[in-house]
Amino acid sequence: MVVLSAARWLRSRLTDRFWRGQEGLKYACQSGLGQPAHFRGRKNRCYRLAVRSVRRAFVKSTKARREKKRFLRALWITRIEAASLEHGLKYPAFISNLLKSQVELNRKMIADLAIYEPKTFKSLAALAQRRRQEGFLAALGDGKEPEGIFSRIVHHY
Amino acid sequence: VAKTSLTSPPWPEVKLPDPVEEAKFHAEVVQKVNKMIAAGQYGRLFAVVHFASKQWKITSEDLIMMDNVLEAECGDRIRMEKVLLVGADDFTLIGRPLLGRDLVRVEATVIEKTESWPKINMRFWKRHNYQRKKIIVTPQTVLRINTIEIFPCLS
Repeated sequence: MVVLSAARWLRSRLTDRFWRGQEGLKYACQSGLGQPAHFRGRKNRCYRLAVRSVRRAFVKSTKARREKKRFLRALWITRIEAASLEHGLKYPAFISNLLKSQVELNRKMIADLAIYEPKTFKSLAALAQRRRQEGFLAALGDGKEPEGIFSRIVHHY
Repeated sequence: VAKTSLTSPPWPEVKLPDPVEEAKFHAEVVQKVNKMIAAGQYGRLFAVVHFASKQWKITSEDLIMMDNVLEAECGDRIRMEKVLLVGADDFTLIGRPLLGRDLVRVEATVIEKTESWPKINMRFWKRHNYQRKKIIVTPQTVLRINTIEIFPCLS
């Protein structure tokens, strides 16, 4: 390439080998404002080591995105279990009775309600408890007795 | 007859309250709540809405971001049906599974439609010279919930 001013030799971005290495290093190294580097040790300066770490980081993040959904659901379930035990119900009883009374809130919502709306969660627990008792009576009695009020199914047509 | 472990069921004996009295109590409660709604004695309302295949817990002046495209321009008002739950400080209305359209009204405005930050999808098998890198940019929509209103038409 023809360089007119020899004093300042600017490295041209497309052809120089230096810049192709910087492309991968940008994920690992220090950003301009003096913040701490993303990666520790020589992994944030040397290209060979950085390439390996950055590749592993990307692969781990793709796999983690699929597992995050599993973790969050387990977390919600633990929280709902803790909250329903405070009201005297176990988690399987709570969830199954809520579904039988046609309330289709998912676990994320019920966990959020248990944290931020304790009164609403208490009413949901009471609903589940009542439906459970009506279920017991229906199992024992079997017909001829009045059906439970909260076990009536709503039809939307 | 001798009592075995199977004579009585494993759960404790349950007695439900009298159905007639219960019906009266229920009607009273419904009347009370109706009066409260008509008089406007509730503070902030929150609602659980099913939207874009997800459930959201929303109040007024709330921002919501979803990972998809909505066929509405920026600045359009949208009414969200499919309300599962509405609540205030003293009462909650639980839908089975949805609440009626003439009971709740949730209004929202589309604020912006952008794209997400470029997410990197990489697959790598070691010692097999196999790596694929894909950059995924998903469209996003931001909505602001303007109001949640309830009307006193319970029965």
